[in-house]
Amino acid sequence: MESNKKYWKGLDEYKNTPDFVENNKNEFVEPLPIEEVLNEAGLNTVTPRRDFLKALGFGLGAVSLAACQPAPVTKSVPYLIKPEEVVPGLPNYYVSTFNGQSILVKTREGRPIKIEANPNAGIFNCGTDAQAQASVLDLYDVSKLKTPVLDEEETTWANLDNYVKTELNKVQASGKKIKIVSSTVNSPSTKAVIADFISHFPNTKHIQYDAISYTGILKANENSFGKAVLPKYNFDKADLIVSFGADFLGTWISGEEFTAQYTANRNHKSLEKGKMSRHFQFETGMSLTGTNADTRITIKLSEQGPALIALYNAVTGNNLSGGNLSNNSNAEKALKLVAQELLQNKGKSLVVCGSNDVSTQTLVNAINVAISSYGSTIDLDNACLKYSGNDAELTSLVKEMNAGEVGAVFFLNSNPVYDAVNAKQLETALSKVSLKVSFSDRLDETADLCNVVASTPTYLESWGDANIYEGYFSIVQPTINLVFDSRQAEQSLLIWSGASVTDYYQYVRNNWEKNILPFVGKTWDNVLQLGVVTASPKVAKAYAFNLSLTTVASSVASSSNSLKKDIELQLFESIPMRDGKSANNAFLQELPDPVSKITWDNYIAIAPKFAEKLGYKEFDVLTVKADNGYSVDLPLLIQPGQAIGTVSIAVGYGRTKAGKVGNNVGKNAFPFTRMVNGTVQFTSTVTLSQTGRKEELAQTQTHYSFEGRNIIRETTFNDFKKDPAAGSGNHHKHKVYDLWSTDKHDKPGNDWVMAIDLNACTGCGACIVACNVENNIPVVGKEEVRRRREMHWLRIDRYYSFNDEKTGEDVTKETEIAHMSNLDNVSVVHQPMLCQHCDHAPCETVCPVLATVHSSDGLNHMAYNRCVGTRYCANNCPYKVRRFNWFNYWNDSRFDNYLNNEFTQLVLNPDVTTRFRGVMEKCSMCIQRIQAGKLKAKIEKRPLKDGDIKMACQQVCSANAIIFGDKNDPESEVSKAMKSERIYYVLEEINVEPGIGYMTKVRNIDSTTKEVHA
Amino acid sequence: MRNISLLLKNIFKPVAAVAVLTIMFMSSANAQDAVEGRKIFKDKCSSCHALDRKMTGPALKDVDQRHDEKWLISWIKNSSAMVKAGDPAALKIFNEYNQVSMTAFPTLTDADIKNILTYIKEGEPKPKETAETAKVDEGVSTFSIVGVVFIILAAILVLIFLNKAIKFLEKVILKKQGVEIEEEVKTPFMKLLRGMLKNKKFVFSVVLSLVIILVTFGWMGMWETGVHTGYQPVQPIKFSHELHAGINKIECQYCHSGAFKSKNASIPSLNVCMNCHKQVQARDLYAGQISPEIQKIYDALGYDESTQSYDKAKQKPVEWVRIHNLPDLAYFNHSQHVVVGEQAIRKEKGLKPNEPVCFACHGPVDTMVEMYQYSPLTMKWCINCHRNAEVSTKGNAFYDKVIAAHEKIKKGEKITPALLGGLECGKCHY
Repeated sequence: MESNKKYWKGLDEYKNTPDFVENNKNEFVEPLPIEEVLNEAGLNTVTPRRDFLKALGFGLGAVSLAACQPAPVTKSVPYLIKPEEVVPGLPNYYVSTFNGQSILVKTREGRPIKIEANPNAGIFNCGTDAQAQASVLDLYDVSKLKTPVLDEEETTWANLDNYVKTELNKVQASGKKIKIVSSTVNSPSTKAVIADFISHFPNTKHIQYDAISYTGILKANENSFGKAVLPKYNFDKADLIVSFGADFLGTWISGEEFTAQYTANRNHKSLEKGKMSRHFQFETGMSLTGTNADTRITIKLSEQGPALIALYNAVTGNNLSGGNLSNNSNAEKALKLVAQELLQNKGKSLVVCGSNDVSTQTLVNAINVAISSYGSTIDLDNACLKYSGNDAELTSLVKEMNAGEVGAVFFLNSNPVYDAVNAKQLETALSKVSLKVSFSDRLDETADLCNVVASTPTYLESWGDANIYEGYFSIVQPTINLVFDSRQAEQSLLIWSGASVTDYYQYVRNNWEKNILPFVGKTWDNVLQLGVVTASPKVAKAYAFNLSLTTVASSVASSSNSLKKDIELQLFESIPMRDGKSANNAFLQELPDPVSKITWDNYIAIAPKFAEKLGYKEFDVLTVKADNGYSVDLPLLIQPGQAIGTVSIAVGYGRTKAGKVGNNVGKNAFPFTRMVNGTVQFTSTVTLSQTGRKEELAQTQTHYSFEGRNIIRETTFNDFKKDPAAGSGNHHKHKVYDLWSTDKHDKPGNDWVMAIDLNACTGCGACIVACNVENNIPVVGKEEVRRRREMHWLRIDRYYSFNDEKTGEDVTKETEIAHMSNLDNVSVVHQPMLCQHCDHAPCETVCPVLATVHSSDGLNHMAYNRCVGTRYCANNCPYKVRRFNWFNYWNDSRFDNYLNNEFTQLVLNPDVTTRFRGVMEKCSMCIQRIQAGKLKAKIEKRPLKDGDIKMACQQVCSANAIIFGDKNDPESEVSKAMKSERIYYVLEEINVEPGIGYMTKVRNIDSTTKEVHA
Repeated sequence: MRNISLLLKNIFKPVAAVAVLTIMFMSSANAQDAVEGRKIFKDKCSSCHALDRKMTGPALKDVDQRHDEKWLISWIKNSSAMVKAGDPAALKIFNEYNQVSMTAFPTLTDADIKNILTYIKEGEPKPKETAETAKVDEGVSTFSIVGVVFIILAAILVLIFLNKAIKFLEKVILKKQGVEIEEEVKTPFMKLLRGMLKNKKFVFSVVLSLVIILVTFGWMGMWETGVHTGYQPVQPIKFSHELHAGINKIECQYCHSGAFKSKNASIPSLNVCMNCHKQVQARDLYAGQISPEIQKIYDALGYDESTQSYDKAKQKPVEWVRIHNLPDLAYFNHSQHVVVGEQAIRKEKGLKPNEPVCFACHGPVDTMVEMYQYSPLTMKWCINCHRNAEVSTKGNAFYDKVIAAHEKIKKGEKITPALLGGLECGKCHY
């Protein structure tokens, strides 16, 4: 049963190009300049004896002088008055809320240094995303405003308040309008503040828009069911999931929550019960969700509408016109199969769509009603309040501004000059408004055009609250005093509207004690401890659909038709950068995109065949020009799985005023968005042209071969049911030859091991950022990533594999691969790769100074201070998980975008040393957490329990793909997992005895889906 | 000489004591009351009251003139009851002192209170004589040693001088007697020296031994590089551990409260100092002034003693000089050692039961007037202890499983931290 399926990491390997074959023989891609070095004059010159003695003398003298320095005097400065709850050296945890998700903030000596998910968060039973993990770095961002700004000059709050109050009164007297422009506000207290402001200045209107808009779903739900809300999706209740371009595991609505729900039906626990959901993804660009789908069918943007109509027809038996997919017979076939399965799984399936078009979403509603999703997999009665922006209001805002009707405008948590669909018009219209106030922590694109910037603190310094689902309230509490002279926007609004309570803490508390706490039976102190209060959820009801779909279908068809051009452009949110709000976060900039593995840039993704047809090569810089006249130059990336005839570009890049880190990284793609039928569309049609330049993208996974080794093992769900060890290679064990057979080492205490469930891991990369924050891993920047010097201890390898388009069978032989014609027929596996803590570690035997040695609890230790930087260990590591410090990243002006200032260094975890130049480092299995966990148990005089110690990567993982623990404890979760038949070890044939076991990837595919997979 | 000084001391002591007692006795007829009252005052009142200055409560000098004795007795026994009852004088004080009621002392008898009031009336007894006695006491021992040394030196000098004089006189006598004196010739010694220098074997052995000595000392010196045993920097405040931990027997943890909970023992914040030093000002040693060292605490906190208020604008943290400097690359956790490893360390370092476990590494802190580094804090020093100490596993359920596993391999050996993996690099370096 052993799978001999072929995988490839990069296209060169896949295509077996002559270049690749040549490079494959060599260990290094670039030729080593050995000849040059040998021919250099330096090697032939003779050093005269006198010069040698001079150098020797100078060296000795210099060393002696340097050694004469007295030991530096270190000062210890205790608190003057120590806060009672602070014990230096021990962390404190506080509940707070990030983007609506309840979190725990770890503080040390009063500094927030790490974010964890709140285990009491109720429905948010998941880890945190990369953004939450990285958000702690935003607090220590040097690019933030240090004081408020009035007319481009730093000022005091008293001056600013005077100015704004006078101006507001003038506006009020003139009868002009006041606008508050914000992204969706889901904080009850902020809403109340705005309501108070409006009652004081009745001409005020609050406009909400979201850079990534969900107006389409809101409007569709209003039309279909009279409720303009996002529903609560229950992916855990769905046995069959069909997604049309919705990246629900990544960026769509609430990725982490959906990941937890989704993997609950696919992880090792579910598989042991013989249960696995099935997931079809119809999409244009390769999304994170697409890479996880059992069956992924590429469709063009213009085919999405017809596909939905066809699906609706097939499910309901109706005959709406416009469902013609004759150009994509594969999709047509797949839709028939999907419709059949949807009908078999009524009430247990879910159809979602990433489109922001009202008609398209209405059609999706109709399909979901037809398959009885409402009341089970879709819950409209406990609505999601995360997004409630209305795109159309932006248009009217610009109109009113241009007409001179607007006297004052406030920008709250929004940056429309950068990300709005009509940014250009807004920019010019702004000049007609006399009072422009931005609540921003930095001088961003919008704030730069405002005459007042009332600088705001980050959420870690603020009071507040959030209400993400109906009846689900969470609190934001500060974990540090205001770092700069900033003030919360709410407080500013309270002061300017002359409210009686101007202290926002008091306001929030009053609001909770009056409007929330009495209904949930909790006190304020409870809230500060729990972080979350919930009212008992309502019962989800089924809904009927009574609209006529003829107009809807024709609207869908016509907007699809309008996209039918030579090259269709899909705009998407990338996993690291999202909508670009945290563009100045170095952790996120260096987080590789889960699919393309690109850092520090956006790019044009194009299918291999399509690029060939157009005559473009990878890294060619192309000009992308849209019909609306906007054009950018971006490098090209060959992306397998991209629909032919389309290109994809990520939004969120190209900030010009984000700060030191994020300025001019990539190009802004928001201006490509279009306003169609009252909603923003993230699609367009474009033309491409060569600029003649080339630009190498900074990719973390480059074009190395892995020599056809059996690193990824997978099986199908059907095979798994027959034989749980299917595809794991466990039936054909190699004979083991052991160099150390006479020298066995016991692990009498603990044996720390890890199991990674490849079927649960979605590849989102949150663990990478968590690892960075926990272990003080430096950010190296674009240039260094290009030189393959990124420092990530944990990486996620993405492997492509593919099936024969005719038979659907796995393609096994390299010669066959070269003859494949359909290059888009890919499946993807994500494999987290970190130090395997081998019991027979090859790195240990080659270290000349014993800097890396094995411990009696199964870990591979790395003593940085012993390391002399020979890098033999990295050379000898079969997994390439050792990273070398080429520079002092925290004290080198070339790395100004990260730790090279004392303020940002406050983010460092004091329990982990920072590494010096010339030192090797790698995953330590969060040894600081292991030691802390053991010490806690010792002090409490109790045995260590399973789950006491959690790895940073494990704790953040929404999918629970990483299981860590003691293998010597037979009851621990990890030792049970390690006994699973699915467990295999990467490169086990070389007998290094890794401590990390991987569970086979299982795909829920069968002969019917294999046919349509493409 | 020493005997003489001791004798003097022994004679002087009782004389001085008798003199002081007589003076004290004569100075006041109610001495017994005042002494008893002073004792109670120091015990119960002095944390909030002083005679001559306002503290948490008012200055008590002349309190008997402000209030009558009956009022004072009922006030001291239960002031809040009087406040509640609406006594105007009581209310006035209550409001004046931020409406904080005085601790009630129902256990004090009327006689006790009268004693206190007598003491307040009498004031602090003049300690002049006693102080002098103490001074003499203190002086004797050092003075006598110096004296002995001086006398011995003088004697030696006299002896040498006498010897010379005798030799000279003898010479003169001999000369007078007409005896020819042969001039003392130094040739034999010089000859010997020359001969030795010509002896190559001798020269070689001398040079060799010199080289060996120099290399040995050099080597030892190099090992000591970066080892700061005995490092005793001057601190911004002359804080004496001898006084606090030794004489006053304050628990280490009272100030270094992190030691049993955290990796840092932590230097106390100044509010901990103020717990005592709001009252303890050592005025008796500084002619009624606040001790200049205690004043430094007040200055750092921006504390105004007369108004008892803190001025945040004047606050300035104290920058202590760190004595125990472990490099950043080494992780050390106090709680691991003083809580979990306490018994093991006590046994290994042979601490007495009444000594705190801290002494194992920090030395006899209770005798250190100025703190210094007692242990070398080198890795060798850490490792030696990890090799030799016996982990005390008794009563700690954490170790039960570990021991069960180790029984297979240890065969009755003692369980050292090394056996449990305490020598592995990653246990301290991460």
